[in-house]
Amino acid sequence: MLKYFISILLITTSLNLSSQENDLLDTIPIKTTYGIKLGIDLSKQIRMLTESNYRGLVITGDYRIFDKLFLAAEFGSEEKKITNEIFDFNTKGSFLKLGINYNVYKNRIGLENEIYVGFRYGISNFSHKLNSYKIYDLDQYWNQNLANNTTDFKNLSASWVEFVLGFNAEVLKNTFMGISLRLNRLLNQENPKNFSNLYIPGFNKVLEENSLGVGISYSIFYQIPIYKKTKNK
Amino acid sequence: MKKIIILFVISVILSSCEPDDICLVTIPDTPKLIIVFFDATNGLKKEVINLKINGVNSDESYLFKTTDSISLPLKNIEKTTSYSFIKEAKENIDDSGNKDQVLINYQYNHIYISRACGYKSNYEINQIVIENDNINWIIKSEIIESSVIDENTIHVKIFH
Repeated sequence: MLKYFISILLITTSLNLSSQENDLLDTIPIKTTYGIKLGIDLSKQIRMLTESNYRGLVITGDYRIFDKLFLAAEFGSEEKKITNEIFDFNTKGSFLKLGINYNVYKNRIGLENEIYVGFRYGISNFSHKLNSYKIYDLDQYWNQNLANNTTDFKNLSASWVEFVLGFNAEVLKNTFMGISLRLNRLLNQENPKNFSNLYIPGFNKVLEENSLGVGISYSIFYQIPIYKKTKNK
Repeated sequence: MKKIIILFVISVILSSCEPDDICLVTIPDTPKLIIVFFDATNGLKKEVINLKINGVNSDESYLFKTTDSISLPLKNIEKTTSYSFIKEAKENIDDSGNKDQVLINYQYNHIYISRACGYKSNYEINQIVIENDNINWIIKSEIIESSVIDENTIHVKIFH
């Protein structure tokens, strides 16, 4: 968790640094760029390097519709193998998230940084393959605690909402780096028969006691400028 | 705004804690087979003196006591479990007492419990076989409840 906070700190400081430029151009009409940002969620690539049983690719993007409002979308696929003392299973699937970001950051003139809050509606289609599991038996006389029957659970789905808090900093002209924290709440899930959705692609680990989940993304975007518009003062 | 951000970050950290990774002891595990001993002549509960129970092909003895009821674990991934029931056994002397072989045939089902506990077995008892050795002390057995899903009822009566 610490490394994420360090990244957040770095991004916020870079926001502040670039805000040091003065605003002499007060009287000239200010134009801001409207465009489509397309990017890749690098946190998945980092996870692939640090976690051996994980594969994922997530494309993210947003489209600025008003001065402060962006339509946002993410889609991707993930594959995760979980092996612990209770289960050994694989989960595989793809997901789509749609929503909006609202920029709450007041930029100095000429800058296009964002601190935003937003939400997403996410849907995921996935399958599990259970390879082995533990049988909870306090009596160890026969010592038969591990079942090795492979079972497939296919065509499962889930939907959820995410509350997003994020930062995007324009590091080069039209190139943004961003980090976002996610708080997810599961709305609906199709539970496999005699098993449970312990991991949902796009949603992350599922807790059985509550329907909340968390996530983080670390993205790099390229903005395709479409038009410029005078900013209302 | 700052307050909202702080609140958000705190809630993210709090929900990363994982309370459901521990299997609580209050959650029932795989049930055992409950067997109660009755007198074959008057149908009343009757203790077995110095009952010793060994699992067939197991190196250690499962229990040794004078009792009218026992609970036995069944194998989780095999459909047969066999025990020798030895009446009037002497604890440290092999081949003492009267030994009857009891074979339990059943179907097992593995039922999902939770992330922390995994699965448990439930059983459907098909048959209890008392092997005939001419000097059986067990007269007959009777399946009272064939579904072994908990330990709250008598599953099998044994008359002697």
